[in-house]
This record gives sequence, C-alpha cells and structure tokens, in this order.
Amino acid sequence: MAEERHPTRTQFPASAETQKPHLKKAPEFPILEKQNWLIHLHYIRKDYEACKAIIKQQLQETQGLCEYAIYVQALIFRLEGNIQESLELFQTCAVLSPQCADNLKQVARSLFLLGKHKAATEVYNEAAKLNQKDWEIYHNLGVCYIYLKQFNKAQDQLHHALQLNRHDLTYIMLGKIHLLVGDLDKAMEIYKKAVEFSPENTELLTTLGLLYLQVGIYQKAFEHLGNALTYDPINYKAILAAGSMMQTHGDFDVALTKYRVVASAVPESPPLWNNIGMCFFGKKKYVAAISCLKRANYLAPFDWKILYNLGLVHLTMQQYASAFHFLSAAINFQPKMGELYMLLAVALTNLEDTENAKRAYDKAVCLDKYNPLINLNYAVLLYNQGEKRDALTQYQEMEKKVNLLKDSSSLEYDSEMVEMAQKLGAALQVGEALVWTKSVKDPKSKQRTTSTSKASGFQQPLGSNQALGQAMSSAAAYSKLPSAAKIYHSPSNARKHGVS
Amino acid sequence: MAAAPPSDFNGGKVESSEAGSKWLDAHYDPLASIHTFSACLALADLHGDGEYKLVVGDLGPGGQQPRLKVLKGPRVLTESPLSELPAAAVTFLKDHHEPRTPALALASGPCVYVYKNLRPYFKFSLPPLPVNPLEEDLWDQAKEDRIDPLTLKEMLEGIREKAEVPLSVQSLRFLQLELSEMEAFVNQHKSKAIKRQTVITTMTTLKKNLADEDAVSCLVLGTENRELLVLDPEAFTTLATMKLPSVPAFLEVSGQFDVEFRLAAACRNGNVYILRRDSKCPKYCIELSAQPVGLVRVHKVLVVGSNQDSLHGFTHKGKRLWTVQMPAAILTMNLLEQHSRGLQAVMAGLANGEVRIYQDKTLLNVIRTPDAVTSLCFGRFGREDNTLIMTTRGGGLIIKILKRTAVFVEGGGELGPPPAQATKLSVPRKTRLYVDQTLREREAGTAMHRTFQTDLYLLRLRAARAYVQALESSLSPVSATAREPLKLHAVVQGLGPTFKLTLHLQNTSAARPLLGLLVCFLHNEALYALPRAFFKVPLLVPGLSYPLETFVESLSDKGISDVIKVLVLREGQSAPLLSAHINMPVSEGLAAA
Repeated sequence: MAEERHPTRTQFPASAETQKPHLKKAPEFPILEKQNWLIHLHYIRKDYEACKAIIKQQLQETQGLCEYAIYVQALIFRLEGNIQESLELFQTCAVLSPQCADNLKQVARSLFLLGKHKAATEVYNEAAKLNQKDWEIYHNLGVCYIYLKQFNKAQDQLHHALQLNRHDLTYIMLGKIHLLVGDLDKAMEIYKKAVEFSPENTELLTTLGLLYLQVGIYQKAFEHLGNALTYDPINYKAILAAGSMMQTHGDFDVALTKYRVVASAVPESPPLWNNIGMCFFGKKKYVAAISCLKRANYLAPFDWKILYNLGLVHLTMQQYASAFHFLSAAINFQPKMGELYMLLAVALTNLEDTENAKRAYDKAVCLDKYNPLINLNYAVLLYNQGEKRDALTQYQEMEKKVNLLKDSSSLEYDSEMVEMAQKLGAALQVGEALVWTKSVKDPKSKQRTTSTSKASGFQQPLGSNQALGQAMSSAAAYSKLPSAAKIYHSPSNARKHGVS
Repeated sequence: MAAAPPSDFNGGKVESSEAGSKWLDAHYDPLASIHTFSACLALADLHGDGEYKLVVGDLGPGGQQPRLKVLKGPRVLTESPLSELPAAAVTFLKDHHEPRTPALALASGPCVYVYKNLRPYFKFSLPPLPVNPLEEDLWDQAKEDRIDPLTLKEMLEGIREKAEVPLSVQSLRFLQLELSEMEAFVNQHKSKAIKRQTVITTMTTLKKNLADEDAVSCLVLGTENRELLVLDPEAFTTLATMKLPSVPAFLEVSGQFDVEFRLAAACRNGNVYILRRDSKCPKYCIELSAQPVGLVRVHKVLVVGSNQDSLHGFTHKGKRLWTVQMPAAILTMNLLEQHSRGLQAVMAGLANGEVRIYQDKTLLNVIRTPDAVTSLCFGRFGREDNTLIMTTRGGGLIIKILKRTAVFVEGGGELGPPPAQATKLSVPRKTRLYVDQTLREREAGTAMHRTFQTDLYLLRLRAARAYVQALESSLSPVSATAREPLKLHAVVQGLGPTFKLTLHLQNTSAARPLLGLLVCFLHNEALYALPRAFFKVPLLVPGLSYPLETFVESLSDKGISDVIKVLVLREGQSAPLLSAHINMPVSEGLAAA
C-alpha cells in the first residue's frame, strides 16, 4: 500500500521534469489501460472523432495491445456500418483475451449484422458457456433463431433470457414470434405481461393497442394507444391508430389535428395521407380528399387500400371513368375482395357497360359471403334491367346474409341501404322485409344525403345511382373496410385524446 | 457573481431563453480553453477565506496538455501542469484540524494526488496487482538463462489461453515479437521484476462517520481492474475493497462509511451495480441494455442517463420508476442542489446545446447555450450560493447565477400538445384545369371510358400480334423450343470505325449439352464488313455463358448506323432457333477523322 508518506515532492506532477532520470534504465512499459476511461467517456458521448484519435494514440503507444481500445474502435466501426472490419477487430480482441464472453458476444453480434445467423448462433453458444447468467446472450440467440425460422428454439431462448432478467426487448421479440406464427392470442398475452412489467414503454403500448384493434376490442385498444400518447405525444404509430379510430367515429376534425403532428414528423407516410384524405372525404371536401389520396398513392403506388379509397372518392364525384381505373388497379393488387368488384360494378353500371357490370357482380357475390350490400346492389341492377327473377334471387340472398349478420354481430346498417332494400322488396313484391326492423339503429352514414332525395325514382335507371350511394357508405360505415390505414380502425370513446 | 466585475461580461452573451429567465448570465468566455468532464470539476473553499474556488482538472485541447486550474471568479488563479490526464477531481475534508480547509484530490493514472492549500501534499498509488506466479517463475528462469526465448514464448502463450490472472505488459509485448527480436528483448528486460499496474477510472467521496456538511470524508476509487477501494482520509490506507463484474465509469455514494452506505457504480458493460456496506460484491444490478452516460442520486432516486437519449429513475433496489426521453444525446449530468429551498434536481447537458433540469420526470427548466455543454457543476462559487458552471465542447466557460427570486415549478419546460399540432397541413392544391377536366369527365365519362377501352384492346391486339410474329420467326433472343433452350445477348464495344461485337450464348437446359449450332450475321454489306459472317458454335455446356467475339468494321463515313441481325441456327435447319437485332452505334472514330 502507499505508506510512502515521503514528503519528497519529486514524484509530484507539478514538477514533471524531475521524472526524467527514470528513462535511462530499460524502458518502462506504459500501463495498457491507461486511457481506457477516457476512450469510454468519449465513446458514450458519441464523440467518435475524439475517441478515434485517442484510440490511435493509445494503440501506437501499446503496439496494438490495448484490448479496450480495439474493442471500442470495433464498436465505432460497426456504428459507421463497417461491419466486416468491426468483426475482424472483435476477433482480435477475442484472441487477446479468450476467456472474455463479452468479446465473443460482440463477434457474434457482428456476424448477426452481416446476416450470418448460423455462425452467430455458434459463437453465442460459445459465449453462453463462458457466461451463463447473461440475458443478452440468450436474447440474441433467440433473435438469431427467429431469423433462421426456428421459432420453437427461439422461444425457448427468449424465455430463458426472461428468466435471467426481464427486458422489454425480449418481450417484443417473443411477441413478434407469436405474430409471425399468427398466434394473436399468445402475442397479446406476452405484450400484456410486458406492459405490466414496463407500463411506460410506448412501443409496447402501441403494439398492444394495435393488437386489441385487430381483434376488435376497441375500448382497450384506445386505452393503450391513449397511454402511449400521454407518454410520447408524437408517437407516429399511436397517433395514426388513434386517429383512424376517431375517424370511424366521425371525429374528423380532431383526427385531422392529430395528424398534423404526424405530418410534420413523417411527411412521407402513405397511410397518413390516406387517412387525411379520408378525413376530408368524411367532411365532404372531395377535392382535398383526392389531392391527399393521390399523394398517398404517389408515395405507395402498390397499396390497394389507397386505390380503393381513390375509387370510392371518384365514384362520389361521379368521375366514373377515373374510378374504374383506380378500382381495376386495386383489383390487380388484391384480387380476393368482393367489395372491390362491387365498386367496380357500380362504376361500370354508370359507364353503361351492363354486361361487364354483371360479371363484376357475379365475381363479387362469389368472393364475398357476408356483405348484403353486394347482393342488394346487384338486385337493383338486375331489376333495372328488367330481370326480375334474378333480382329476386339476389334479394333473397341478401336477406339471408342480413339474418346471419344480425345473429352474430352488432353491425349497424345504413338507413339509406335499408330504405333501398325495402323499396326493392316492395317492387319485387316479396312483402315487407322484417329482417331490418331490429337492426336499424342510429345510422352513422355520412353519405346519406347524396341520394335519399332521389329514392322515389326507383324504376328509372337512376336506381343504380342510389346503389352507388350505398356502396360508398359501406366503406365509411363498416368497421372492417379499409377507409383508414392498415389495421387501424374502430369505434369507441374517441374523444379521450382528441381534446389536447 | 458578485465578485465578477462587469467588464468580465463577454460580448457574445449567453442566449437566455426568455426575458423572465431564472438565470443571470454572469460570465461567458468561448475561448476559456477548458476541456473537461463533470467529474473533474469541483467547488470548494480551498483557502478557508469564504471565497469558493472552482477546481478544474483540465485535459487541455485534444487531451494533450493536462493542467490543474483553479479559478477565482472568472479568472484563473493558479495553473499547474499535470503529468497525466486527470480522471476525477474532488474536494474533501480529511481531518478535524482547524482551519477546516478542504483538501483537493486529483485522480490521474494509477495515483491520487492530494493537495492541501493548493500545495502538493501526498501521493497515493494503487497497490500493484498480483502477477501470475507461473509467469513470474518463467521470467525468473529467463533471468538465469535457463530457458530459451522460444520455450518462454510457448509457455507464456499457454498461460494467456487459460489462466485467470492476465499476463503483465512485459510478457504481452514479448509475445508480439518476431523470433529475431526475442533474444535482445529478454536480455534487456529479464532483470526487471514483472508487475501489473492498474489505473483509476473514477473517484468520489463518502462521509466517514458523520452526516454533517463538514464531516470528514473517505475517498472512493473505481479502478480499471473492476474494483472499488475506500481510502482512509488521514492515513490513506485501504479501508475496504469491493469487486465489480465490470469496470466502473461513474460512482454515486450515500451514507457514512462507518454506519451504513450505499454505493452505485455505473459500469462499462451497461449495468449499474448497487453495493452496501457489508457486501463484498454487488447486491442489486440494474441492466440498462445501453451505456450509462451519467449517474446522479436525487434524494433516494438514482437517475441514470443512457446513451439512448433517455433518463431513467431507479429505486436504490434497482426497480425502474420512470423514463424520460431526451431530444438529443446526453453528454453529461450532475446534481443541482439548492439548499435554501431544499431542492434537488438533475441537470443534463445535451448534444443540441440545451441543459435540461429535471426533478424526477418533470422538466423544471431548459437553458439554451451557444455550444453543447460537456461538463456541469452547481454550487457555491465565490460568495454566491447558487452558481451553475458549464464548460462547452469548444472549450468555453459559462457561469450563470440562479436568481434569488427564482422558484422552480413543475411545467417550467414544455407543456401541452407538441408544437407541430398547430401547423397547418400542406394539402396539395388542385388547378383550375383539374376542375375543368373533372367536369368534362362527369359529362362525357362513358364516351371517355369507351374510347379508352377500344384503344386498350387495339393496343393489346397489336402487342399480341407482334409477339406471335416474333415467336414465329424466332426473333426473340431466347429460344422457345424445348429441345434447344438457349439465351443470347450481345454487347458492342468500341467507338468505331472498328467495333467489337461479343455474343454471349448460354445453354439454359438443366443437363443436356448442345452441339452443332451455327451463328450467322445478316447485315448491310455497304455499311459493315465482318471478317466472317457465318461460323460454328462450339459445344455448349449447360449453364455456362460462352462469349463469341467478332470484329465489325464500319464502312460508311456518313455517320449512319444500321441493324445487324444475329441468327442462331441448327445445322441442317433453315428456321433460326433464335435471333437478335443489334443496333450498331454511330461510328465516332470516322466522324472525327
């Protein structure tokens, strides 16, 4: 110990020149780790230039023996994207101190980043032998297995990591596995646990909120999205999801104010401009809606939902030729959706191409099993064409679907649609359609006004025009239709966030 | 600062965020040339005259000229060079002697230099680390020339692979040498005892047995070999040693050494370890999964800044309480303690030139500075109680005084919805023309649609016809027949008048080689001359691409170009298997001539 209480001040830094006699003997070796602390301090401050300068100096002084300097140099290389170089340096570190699990971890990490997942797992397993208490090793092993598509192994490793120490990241990865496998329930369970563990992690909250949305538990979805927004008011995903929920509720102005935040943060997001467009659509500002949707389409030309919405808006604007193009483009990307064919049929009807319209309806009817609107629109067309028998078949089909839906869900029908159906029923002389009486609640349709005035002209070809009104409202009033972006959509107490 | 004369106010005044700022700008010198970290700043009444001085362990520009500076007011009082870079500077009371002037301890390399009255007083060196006995034995043998360098090298390598205790620098250096240099190295160094030395990475103080403001304190050192040492303030003996799993970078201590204390050490592996008096190793561990950039204790909450731009609050048992996201990377952190109001808060210097003050997770105040602040210190300076001292990345020094009337209230920072919410959406505008077109479409939609459909059908028809024609005359560069799956592509090189035409012919069948193919060129003989317009193709092995080269001479000097047709034929058949049209470039060589 330093009992050398010598008052001699020769060793003192204040008088550095007296140290010189030291040098005449065999050269003293500098302490290898002399400036490690400084390298570390610069590194954590992200002052990489200064860091590299010190590393260079240090490596020169120690002739490349300073392990930590090499280690940090490798870390910086990796941050700069030179993964191969970083890998080589980490391997040098692993040679300098072969017993250190950390070096192996970094070697594996670089391998992982290079996409060599198999090799990475091997190195991680090696590291796990040296250090069995490190959650990070197991977590990363799990992630490697995800990329290798060995989900069971990945789950085991991630659960192991959770046992060692709980981290948000591990939960997120576990959740991802379940989502990849398509197991929504398990994924939600994991995310619920994760949110319990760290209730302020906005990513977890948002993901859980979106999952709730997907399974249709809107109350909880909004709760979690709202929580995410209180912790991070500019969370892009959460705003978009919450906004689309408000949209479903008709709170277009509130949703639009929310979207402003996103628009400044992520101005090139296609779902954002899609949602903004549909807000304007809801507010009946059709030109603005088309502008926004076209921008969305420009940003994501292969997104069929945007094309669908564009088709819908153009139908409303009575630009049937344009609508036809957007809808047929959408069908090219998404050939499995009945509603698209129905809208196409509506466009075709208005373009006086009845033959193709009928074919489109046929396709729609055979693709879709639940939407009575298709049958109704088809029936109207057939009736207008004078094919009463076929119209009757479609009408009955529609009644069947309505009965089915009435039992299973709480979908609300657009009053206009009900009215139309009743009129058609009368015209076809099937008697009063009792199916409707229960299901009509307060209709939410925003497009109602477009055609109710024309309802009387039923016998005329105009009838198909009304059916168009139905078609459009469908996209706005039915919760599962993509009038808003991606999976985000649903009703509930949307006002909660809207205020701030 | 009361002591600072007004002339010290610099021209480029520190930008204050609003008129009602809580801070008085006392001093700003962008050229003060102070490059340091928060750990190397200390405020103390070093002379016992009631004037608090600022002690700065200055690394110098680029870490080249380490100096110990003592500032009185904005002026440098004394300045002395240091032999090595200072890692930390603290002031502490080491004994009960009157006058009770604090000593200054400066950690640098493996030593702590203690100054009293700004005079060097004592130097403490870290005890050398134990060396590997096997290694020592080997060098002893070398000393007596009982071992040749090669064997020595092998043995040392064996130790490096397995041993718990790492090798000394001397051995490591030796292992790097070439065979020819070993002898000389051994002769030069064999007489020296091998040793292992470590360095101090961080230092703080811990009250010895009283909680008073002016109680005697121990020094707590964190070292590169993952240890924590507690030193006796008078005898400088090691009172306690604790082992850590990683190298400590920041320390935070509370309590008294003789009674009970808690020690938090933020380490290089991204973890914060919490130790207590009777624990030789960490009791709790906080895993950040990021690098800690600062560690501050506010009352009972440990505030850790991570390099992922966030502040986290933890209990002393390591349970996470809250997280706040920062707008930029955190560079440094320190404690703000306002004794008169009993306020404790965390200051964080950010890379975007802000200093944010947080009490728990609520933002109390934001100070904007002209340059990113790299070190922070708050306390009594001169005769002023609440002074904030900041140094910037460029070496500037900023001193601010907290107004005596200033009260920090919650929500002093940002509030309400993000500012972006007030900006208008930039909805793209539509032109008059667009509206007119819309109207036209409404009127004549059906006709437009029909015309379009007719044209579309015509287009499709023509495309189909052209395709059929191409197939029929084997005009495509890919052979359609199942027996001879072939692919051809051609490259023309050169500027002219002589071009090199390379045909890449590939047999795309899975296993069958092709034999007996011919290549024929059709060209306008007035424009181009080819040495051979017709040749045989060698056997084509599946999968390989065969380059077939030929020269083409352009004969025309009018700068015109033509198409050369390449036909691939099977021997004995007149219909080509495939063909390619090569658009020859205009001969530039001739045009220039």
